[in-house]
Amino acid sequence: MASGGAALAEPSWLAARRERAAVLKGELPLPTWKGELGWEFSPLGEFDIEAFEVGAPADLPPAAAPLLVAPSTSVPDGALVLPLAEAAVSHAEIVERWLGSVAPGDDAFVVRNDATWADGRLVYVPRGTRLAEPIVISAVVDGATALHWRTLVVLEEDAEAEVWEQHLSSDEESAGLLNTVVELVVGQGSTLRYVSGQDVNERTWVFGSQRAEVAREGSLDWAALGFGGRGGKVRMETKLAGEGSHAKVTGAYAGLHRQHLDFDTTQEHAAPNTTSDLAFRGVLQNRATAVWRGMIKVDPGAQQTDAFQESRNLLLSKRSHADAIPGLEIEANDVRCTHAAAVAQIDKEQLYYLMAHGLPREQAKRLVIEGFLSELVERFHEGPLRDQVGGALERRLAELLGDD
Amino acid sequence: MATPELIPPSKIEETQQALAQINADYAERYGFHDPENYLYKAPKGLNEEIVRKISEFKDEPQWMREFRLKALEHFLARPMPNWGSPLLAEVDFDDIHYFVRASERAGRSWDEVPEDVKKTFDRLGIPEAERKFLAGVGAQYESEVVYHQVREDLEKQGVLFLDMDSGLREHEDLVREYFATVIPPNDNKLAALNSAVWSGGSFVYVPPGVHVEMPLQAYFRINTENMGQFERTLIIADEDSYVHYVEGCTAPTYSSNSLHSAVVELIAKPGARIRYTTVQNWSQNVYNLVTKRAIARERATVEWVDCNLGSKLTMKYPSVYLLGEEAHGEVLSIAFAGAGQHQDAGAKIFHVAPRTTSNIFAKSISKDGGRSSYRGMLEVAKGAVEARSKVVCDALLLDERSRTDTYPTIRISEDDVNVGHEATVSKVGEDQLYYLQAHGIPEDEAAKMIVNGFIEPITKELPMEYAVEMNRLIELQMEGSVG
Repeated sequence: MASGGAALAEPSWLAARRERAAVLKGELPLPTWKGELGWEFSPLGEFDIEAFEVGAPADLPPAAAPLLVAPSTSVPDGALVLPLAEAAVSHAEIVERWLGSVAPGDDAFVVRNDATWADGRLVYVPRGTRLAEPIVISAVVDGATALHWRTLVVLEEDAEAEVWEQHLSSDEESAGLLNTVVELVVGQGSTLRYVSGQDVNERTWVFGSQRAEVAREGSLDWAALGFGGRGGKVRMETKLAGEGSHAKVTGAYAGLHRQHLDFDTTQEHAAPNTTSDLAFRGVLQNRATAVWRGMIKVDPGAQQTDAFQESRNLLLSKRSHADAIPGLEIEANDVRCTHAAAVAQIDKEQLYYLMAHGLPREQAKRLVIEGFLSELVERFHEGPLRDQVGGALERRLAELLGDD
Repeated sequence: MATPELIPPSKIEETQQALAQINADYAERYGFHDPENYLYKAPKGLNEEIVRKISEFKDEPQWMREFRLKALEHFLARPMPNWGSPLLAEVDFDDIHYFVRASERAGRSWDEVPEDVKKTFDRLGIPEAERKFLAGVGAQYESEVVYHQVREDLEKQGVLFLDMDSGLREHEDLVREYFATVIPPNDNKLAALNSAVWSGGSFVYVPPGVHVEMPLQAYFRINTENMGQFERTLIIADEDSYVHYVEGCTAPTYSSNSLHSAVVELIAKPGARIRYTTVQNWSQNVYNLVTKRAIARERATVEWVDCNLGSKLTMKYPSVYLLGEEAHGEVLSIAFAGAGQHQDAGAKIFHVAPRTTSNIFAKSISKDGGRSSYRGMLEVAKGAVEARSKVVCDALLLDERSRTDTYPTIRISEDDVNVGHEATVSKVGEDQLYYLQAHGIPEDEAAKMIVNGFIEPITKELPMEYAVEMNRLIELQMEGSVG
């Protein structure tokens, strides 16, 4: 599986893309902490993207338990699931048309991915195809190398699919780099459920530019799990491009030690009658820090928008730190937009209530945190995805509470 | 060369003629302007010589001169903020007069106040208001306070209420102890500018245990084309005292853009309470870039009531540093952005001590393509255990061309806290309008009623005459808004 794009003869259009991106690198320098708008609270320390050797994805480490376990490893009938480098040759018309269509090269991390991506996945679901089984994608950072990973999911009209993606490390010690670009194309009347779980080791930098575009009457159910990494920033941008489209975005992060977890979400309403509903929850232990920045944008003319955004943090330690930066930019008047953000510790009343009923303190604490996270899990429909997300959160919580 | 520029009478006439044609609409609504009639006006632009000149004219102590020059260095070294409003780029620091002097000394009594200044005050209704309500008037006409009167009972209580220049002259030790301790000269580019060229503003000291019953009020005016206004206010409420300071602004319209960049520092000592109310209604060519900050010690309370209706661009985020246990901070904010306006207002609260509490309630209205933004910061530092804070922002959009933004930031470094933020955006409800119209109320009246109802939770916190004025201003802004 560890076959990089370099092994295949690249089509000329792709080589030209890479060259353009390499030129753009010079014009789009990396952010410097505090100097750059949007990066004020994201510590980058001595981070230097050029210092990493570009690597190919590694195989799944046999010992480590993956974040998400597929009910079946076979590709469901009707869908195309291919390594992206291979697809660029075998299905050039699809890749050429859609690659970069949702995440254009207007960002420092996207152009670096554009120029150097080693591999990725294409998931293509033709018109009218509804998949019964989920598709699972795994990308593993190989030691201390930089993995520029690229995912392209395209659902044509009236299609339906569920894609689980996970990002892992080959070992627990190497200081690697993960720079993903994910593009989700949700066609007219289509439904996509996409979950992206990140559990790289605590020494690896994590950057992500994940964007989705939802066409008329399309529906996206998007979830992110952020557990690993030393720092970085993952952007999740949803554009409701077609009338009557809908997006639900759910995020959970949990950090410990000196980890910094960082999410930047955008819900852009570009068409009338669109709805979006975003909820993020974070739990922070030890000296872990987190930034969640969220923006609801309502473009001129996007009347009857209904947008919601909520972020809640639970701090488990006096040394943990959370920043929540919700935002609204509204340029249409017939809208309903609400956001809410909160940071708190474990609700003492709940804790005392449980302890009064005979539960030991640690167990009571764990129950309260589970309750806090289970409200997120309940946003998923009953089924394997919900079970997987619930299980992953439970395992992560055990790590945070130190009884693993 | 900073040669004093005497204004020839011919120029006055020219200016008047130019003025008569510009924004006549504004003049009808609020306005008036007086002929320029100044004894000294510095040339445009800023350099060390002008700063020295300002200090020299004021015959200031050496330490203040050095403070100004140091601040000038900070101002020149700092880039313009890269956040906020795109309109910020329009500010041309080289196209501003940094000092204008209207008369030699602050007026001691009403009789000594020049006639043309009195005329302006008449339009503002000050003498009458003073008789009825005012505890004292610090009226800023141009860059210097020309009239100032402290009521006798205030003096008896030991309350100091002076213009800042007189404060420095008459109470140098007190000023030196507190001046720029809340907002240092290198805080931000605009605060640095103010620190270098400040002139006027109020100096208030309230002794321990004294409750000032009447609100202290000051009116500010900008009245010279291309003239900056850089007042500097310092309010010290000693232990267990109380004071309410009210700042209202109206300004006639001029042909070119005008910069207003104030610095306001509040110090609430243990158990003290300061309320600072602003009704900002600068003419719509003013860039209003203001730094307002308070510190609150143990059990102290600081409340900012901040209403922004005027100006082309306002960037102002009154802040409270809760430094003592159980201190409380509160910001109530109204912003109204009409055509061509950007109100980028908000609040900042820093919880530094245990058991501190704060509330921010912000309401904004955008209309006719105007843009209002709430920008806030709520920070809980390590050690501020049991901090509690609530931030609520509501925005009303009156038409599809207008825009509203909310940019709150929440930073928490302590686990034992409870902090929440919520914001909603809505339009004037059709069902509300329909209901009122069904009861025979014309549509535009109904819209006014809904808007007044929307901001009522904050206007009810204003002194009565200001609440009346606010409602009148909102009604003027609302004219022709529906249809």
